[in-house]
Amino acid sequence: MTEDKVLLEPTIGWILLALFSALWIGLGIYWGKRNRNFEDHALAGRNVGLALASATAAATWITSNTTMLAPQFALQLGVWGMLAYSMAAFGLILFAPLAGRIRQLMPHGYTSGDFFRLRYGRTAWGIFLVFTLFYSLTWLVSMAMAGGILLEALAGIDYVWGMTVILAVCVIYTMRGGLAAVIGTDFIQSLIILIGIVVVGFAVLRNVSVEQIHADLAANKPALIDVLFPAALMAIFNNLLFGLGEVFHNNVWWSRAFAFREGVGTKAFLIGGLVWLPIPVAAGFIALASGVLGVGVPSPDMVGPLVIANVLGDLGAIAIFIVVFCSLASSIDSLLAATSDLITEDVYRRLIQPAATPERLKSMAQWITLALGLGTWAVCVPRIGTLASVLFFAGPLVGSMIWPIVTGLYWRRASSTGAVGGMLLGAGAGLIAYFQIGWFVASTIGTAVSMAWVLGAASLSKERFDWNRLKEA
Amino acid sequence: MTFSSGFLSLLVHGALIWCALSALGLGGLLLKDILRGESW
Repeated sequence: MTEDKVLLEPTIGWILLALFSALWIGLGIYWGKRNRNFEDHALAGRNVGLALASATAAATWITSNTTMLAPQFALQLGVWGMLAYSMAAFGLILFAPLAGRIRQLMPHGYTSGDFFRLRYGRTAWGIFLVFTLFYSLTWLVSMAMAGGILLEALAGIDYVWGMTVILAVCVIYTMRGGLAAVIGTDFIQSLIILIGIVVVGFAVLRNVSVEQIHADLAANKPALIDVLFPAALMAIFNNLLFGLGEVFHNNVWWSRAFAFREGVGTKAFLIGGLVWLPIPVAAGFIALASGVLGVGVPSPDMVGPLVIANVLGDLGAIAIFIVVFCSLASSIDSLLAATSDLITEDVYRRLIQPAATPERLKSMAQWITLALGLGTWAVCVPRIGTLASVLFFAGPLVGSMIWPIVTGLYWRRASSTGAVGGMLLGAGAGLIAYFQIGWFVASTIGTAVSMAWVLGAASLSKERFDWNRLKEA
Repeated sequence: MTFSSGFLSLLVHGALIWCALSALGLGGLLLKDILRGESW
């Protein structure tokens, strides 16, 4: 980001930061009072209703990328760019039936690691843990870093201070309140984000009509409204598969499938996906108005805030600051909770201390959340600028886990050989494609190779898995 | 071949209205869950 002029007075930024920080921490402490053991802390008592479940599915998937990168996609890839970004909603929508199946097969499960360990054995479990921890920690660091960068760009708050505050707030309320605090705050954050996007969107449309935007694009940037824009069409498939891989494997989503009340998971992920679907278009079209409004865009990832501040002034800047802060918090808290639960259950409980009491596990999960926060902070302080590419690097890893999960949940013939080979070969082929061709085909190739191996191994397999073994979790 | 102005207008207005209805729908769902004692 090269923009020197900030959109909001730093004092106003700090006041907003303080107000929302106090709100989230207060709610986290209040909701944490109901947690007595690890099950309450990690899975909110396995009794989350439809409204909170749907909102948390949508809110967690709304990252700062959704609100900041969607305008950039629109600016660079046009109408198809917005629609391509929307395809990530299918990660949630297609996970909906899986969530119901997971709850049914594993009524006592805690993590996605439990599934790999019980379904495919320790080798596949080990590979899964390496892949998922690499992805989760990279995502966590990139979100915290994005928080510091965005707060600095929007309100002139020093990068280290902004990153520290947003990370500390999320660590405190996640430590105290566990998944209940994460889900509760997610509900409020999802409403704030949706209302913010609607208010800002209609306010922009009062200043410039869609017809004016279209006429400007047709005259100056016709590729952005081209029905056959090749780069944008390729981005659709990559986004779809990356989204599927991210949601299908990660404990962020599995922990929710375990936490939602029986019968709620399928509906909640479907509703969450539908809530998410229009957001990249609603947030992204603003960038298309930059030309007709004559807004200079020194850095494409700041196009959304720049247009909003240009049209709406201070109120617009305040709105975008709140929306971005909520988007960041709703993702960072979920990652902290799900990753600490994964380490507590799959590493501490399964490998180090199998006899740990539920109270001890809860305490351990809280300390691991703190350690994750401190570790993330230490990595973020030097402000390494290349993490976005590292996240794309994780695309083949997560893509290679789609088929072992889907076949493992529905097909008794799906085998350990298929899962281990699918993950290793898929990730290997995808990474070769990443370096030899480019990021935009890495997930697709990784997923395709994994699919071929997993399906081939299953068709030759003589194994017939006993579903009751998954109930042991 | 390009997307028409009408299509773009439908897409943008549709997305904004969809977001507004989603917020209302989530609020309504929570109210319903609370009244039934099923929020969590």
